[in-house]
Amino acid sequence: MNQQPIPSHPVPLTAEAATALEQLTIKKHDVAIVLLHWFNASVWLMELLSGLALIVAPAYRVMPQWYLIMIASAFGSRANLLRVHVALGLTWIVVFTVYGVFGYRNYLRKEVLVNEIGLDHDDWQWLRIRLLLILNRTKEALPEQGSYNAGQKLFALLVYTALPVIAITGIIMTFHLIGTAVVAWAMLLHFVAVGIVVSGLMVHAYMGAVFPEERPAFFSMITGRVNELFAYKHHFKWWKQAKIEQRHWQQEFHSTTPSEPKSD
Amino acid sequence: MNSKISRRDFLKASTAGAAIAGASSAVADPTSRPPGRRGSERVEMIATNCEMCFWRCGVLAEVKDGKVLKLQGNPNHPMTKGKLCARGNAGTQLLYDPDRLKYPQMRIGSRGAGKLKRVSWDEALDQFAGRLKEIKQKYGPEAVAVFPHGVGSGFFATLMKAYGTPNAAETAFAQCFGPRDVAYLLTFGRPVGSPEPVDLEESKLIVLIGSHIGENIFTSQVTAFSEGLSRGAKLLVVDPRFSTAASKANWWLPIKPGSDIALLLAWSNVLITENLYDKEYLDQYAIGFKELTDHVQGFTPEWAESLTDISASQIRETARAMAEAKPAVALHPGRHVTWYGNDTQRARAMAILTALLGAYGRKGGIFLPTKLKQGKIPLPPMPESEKGRADGGGDKYPLAAEEAQGLTQGLVEATLTAKPYPIKAWVVYGQNVLESIPQKQRTLEAIKQLELLVVVDVLPNEQTDYADIVLPEATYLERYDPPMISTTSKRPFVSVRQPACEPMYETKPGWWIAKQMAKRLNLDAYFPWSDPDDHLRRVVSPLGVNTSELMSLGAVSFPGKPYIEDRAEEDGPLFPTQSGKIELYSAVLNDLHFDPMPVYHAPEQPPPGHLRLIYGRAPMHTMTRSENNAWLDDLMPENQVWVSTKNASSLRLTEGDVVTLENQDGFRSDPIHVRVTERIRDDCAYMVHGFGAVAPKERKAYRRGTGDTKLITRVAVDPIMGGTGMRVNFVRLLTSEGKV
Amino acid sequence: MARYAMVIKTERCVGCQSCTIACKSEWNVPNGFARTRVPETGTRGTFPNLNTCFHVKQCNHCDRPTCVPACPSGATYQGEDGTVHIDRALCIGCGACVAACPYGARYIDPAAGKADKCDFCAPRREQGLAPACVLTCPGEAKVFGNLEDPASDVYRLVYREGARRMVSNAVAIGPNVYYTGTPEHLEVQAASFAPVPPRTIAPGYIWGAFAKKLVLIAVSASFAGQAIAFFRQLAVGEKRFED
Repeated sequence: MNQQPIPSHPVPLTAEAATALEQLTIKKHDVAIVLLHWFNASVWLMELLSGLALIVAPAYRVMPQWYLIMIASAFGSRANLLRVHVALGLTWIVVFTVYGVFGYRNYLRKEVLVNEIGLDHDDWQWLRIRLLLILNRTKEALPEQGSYNAGQKLFALLVYTALPVIAITGIIMTFHLIGTAVVAWAMLLHFVAVGIVVSGLMVHAYMGAVFPEERPAFFSMITGRVNELFAYKHHFKWWKQAKIEQRHWQQEFHSTTPSEPKSD
Repeated sequence: MNSKISRRDFLKASTAGAAIAGASSAVADPTSRPPGRRGSERVEMIATNCEMCFWRCGVLAEVKDGKVLKLQGNPNHPMTKGKLCARGNAGTQLLYDPDRLKYPQMRIGSRGAGKLKRVSWDEALDQFAGRLKEIKQKYGPEAVAVFPHGVGSGFFATLMKAYGTPNAAETAFAQCFGPRDVAYLLTFGRPVGSPEPVDLEESKLIVLIGSHIGENIFTSQVTAFSEGLSRGAKLLVVDPRFSTAASKANWWLPIKPGSDIALLLAWSNVLITENLYDKEYLDQYAIGFKELTDHVQGFTPEWAESLTDISASQIRETARAMAEAKPAVALHPGRHVTWYGNDTQRARAMAILTALLGAYGRKGGIFLPTKLKQGKIPLPPMPESEKGRADGGGDKYPLAAEEAQGLTQGLVEATLTAKPYPIKAWVVYGQNVLESIPQKQRTLEAIKQLELLVVVDVLPNEQTDYADIVLPEATYLERYDPPMISTTSKRPFVSVRQPACEPMYETKPGWWIAKQMAKRLNLDAYFPWSDPDDHLRRVVSPLGVNTSELMSLGAVSFPGKPYIEDRAEEDGPLFPTQSGKIELYSAVLNDLHFDPMPVYHAPEQPPPGHLRLIYGRAPMHTMTRSENNAWLDDLMPENQVWVSTKNASSLRLTEGDVVTLENQDGFRSDPIHVRVTERIRDDCAYMVHGFGAVAPKERKAYRRGTGDTKLITRVAVDPIMGGTGMRVNFVRLLTSEGKV
Repeated sequence: MARYAMVIKTERCVGCQSCTIACKSEWNVPNGFARTRVPETGTRGTFPNLNTCFHVKQCNHCDRPTCVPACPSGATYQGEDGTVHIDRALCIGCGACVAACPYGARYIDPAAGKADKCDFCAPRREQGLAPACVLTCPGEAKVFGNLEDPASDVYRLVYREGARRMVSNAVAIGPNVYYTGTPEHLEVQAASFAPVPPRTIAPGYIWGAFAKKLVLIAVSASFAGQAIAFFRQLAVGEKRFED
């Protein structure tokens, strides 16, 4: 397969070719990304559960009384609950600040700004067509997507906007910065931003964990690798680039190392 | 020196204290002494007394690791019973005031520039002693005038008397209660004294002539006042201003300022002509009733009406109310009574009225002091001065002859005029001569002519900027002072002042400074006690008080004999006058060519466009003493000038406007905010005394509000005892445009 | 059990602010703020018929406090004995309770960034001590005790001697600081210091009015969308992949 030319656009595959592709895997996510993803998932889940238990005033409250009592007792006291909530939040902020500082070149610039958020022409088409497909209003094919599809990019955009708001308002509330009025507004923004993230997160979780078509994507967030058929079908532009790099690497490797058994 | 004890020991001591022979102390209420901050930490509770004003309420200082955490009242104190006012509670802010005087200083710039350099105690004291010796040689010891005020002043008074000067004066006499003490001494044979022996709690009718209890706060006096009112006492307030006391009164008589004698004479007239006076009492105890009857004949309520702006019917009504309540009428003698220059006569009128009501020595009236056998520390004889006093006391002012009756303004005059002889040095202790002596312009002139000015103080107020030597005293929370021995309380008591913590910075207690000076001046013999413990023991042991019990409880009381019926032969004469009776007619005054009974003379009225300047106190401040206290400043950062709504509108002023006041002599105040109110007569302007600090080193107080002293450039001097009447200045209000 | 209350005897109060400072020194209340203070009512009438007095202003530990439901984190709560407390560990200093108090009894301590107010000296009471203000008052104007104890002074003053609550037509939430005094003095206090309707702070209002609804709609819509997709997926079945 590695002898065959890399197509510049996706072509229909024979069953045999598809099966062959499906056997191959290609690395999609660095270990760091995988760890960060699950770090995020677990912290955000605990923050959400504890945060919801912290809102007690009838006007603000979202959860029922039994929930508030249950979570508070799990942590010993409501004061402890808040301490844990703050500790987790600060930990998350520290980790991501470190990530931002050290991983700027490797991750932030290319990975985030281009791959994760940047919406190109294909992405906008994808959004339009995907929506019409759900509503059964079109028969167009979805355009090629990069490492992340437009839906995933939108979600990333949402998260990158909302999380700083959550983090900064969290810090304002924890350290009572600027002034009381600012703290009060921070509280509102904190709640609203969390609500927005939760809404988007549900789509993300469904798409990742429940939606069968995206199943390989889910596993890629554990193993770091995704099967090539999936990549070819759903993230062609990325697959193509990755294959080209792989060929280059192989050519280099072959030219410098003797008696390499042929991989097929 | 101080007895540092735990709560357990405190409780033990308080119950043991009850067993002392002859002394009965209140058993401490355990529920009012916290065992510690937040319960878990142990603290020491040190009993002392307060000096945020002059009442010296019992205080418990909560101390941990040498730091005073909090002050509260001492429930063991028989007079103040655990209550403590705002100033007392804020004492820690004086102790920890970063602006306070920290180390001895000497002047290096010109007088008033405030340029001082830090020196060691030895250097400062050597210089002080050296200069005193020089002055003694050159001019004689009389050339030194001493201004000692406050509890610790006794050490300095002794020191300077031993040095040889007879010139000592504190503002307490001629600027405060001198007139009433002389008047009551003449009438009843005793001065009034402090704390004032007014039986407020048992009274049926409390009469306040100008007294503004509630704004003037002496803790136990407020307690007694509130208790009396609560038990149903009626209240009659005579004041040109609707004071806090007036707001609780059954009668508020907004009297025309300066006409109180007319009112008092008219009341006496009603009591006598309507036969409402206490005949039995007067028959038994008084002389001069016939003369008095003749004297008051013409002083009818109708006569008094136009003079006082109080209707004749009101005068009669209130006189009859007094008669109905007699003898339980507490006619408060007042405290600061130097108003118009005829103040001794006004106090005489009050004393006479008190006698007519049979209230002196009776329950609910004025009660009698109980003597306590205080220890006198034997000293070598004091040098007699041939030159005599320079302030005019005893000579120009015949009834200011006693040692304790010094005339501060007389010393200022002598310094200025060098008559009867030159005064070249002032030693000031615990007194703010620039703000407490009226006619500040003269005081400043006098200071400029001094060769030596030494100030012993706690805060860097204005006078320290003029001093040659500034000696930083430790605050009352850091030092021992002579114990307070109170005879004018219903239960006389001894209360101790001991340090709650070590003196901060390089401050020293007054007793140490005095003793060090004594050493340098070879006057050790006048300080025969070795240390505070020794001094305390010598003073209190004749009373049968054990000093360590006293130091752990804070105060010990004795049974009192406040009323006539309690007294026996051994208590001495009831009325220690020349005649042995109450002297309604004063032969002493007559012999000195003063009116033997009070006569009304109309005071000078304000010129057109001017208002009479009157002044008073605020409950969260003690004159200028507290002006730099962070907490008290937070409550009241500045004073305001009260003017009536009518005056304000004719001057086109609204609430909060800033004005400057200019008096009849052209002296101007600093800017001050206006308070527009119905609570004052149209002919007066009122402000609280003690603001307008001009010492930049008192950073919190600097330039807040205005001082009234700079407007009190004229005084009316009482010819009988030299008191300086200060309510004789007239001001007009100027807006920022320059005129109104 | 216990219902703590205070009675202020107006006729004994001279407005000396000793209570303000004793409290300030006991609880480190910062300058510019107070847990208890005694403002003047302002003068009514015209010379010489005047009426003024002082009004003790502090937390009333109301029967039905409006501050408790206003607190988002539940830092403000009411104890069994009726006293309202602030758990500083839970307080973020958002100021909702300050606005919600009809008596203006609360403030945000700028140094700590937390709400603060009188708590009837709870730590002192745990030691068996009376509140600091009560003990220091020179006029003995403050009485503290348990309204459920018939032997207490407050019981007598409230139930037998007619001590009155400071309420208004708009706000009657059962304050537990009562006042005695002459009718004129009580009236002038009510004129100046009657409670005002509690306010909701703007962010809280926005949250309550529509932000909360919007968030719930967004989350529910998202959830509903997922649910629909899920059921469709179940119906359609999984494909291996699409061609």
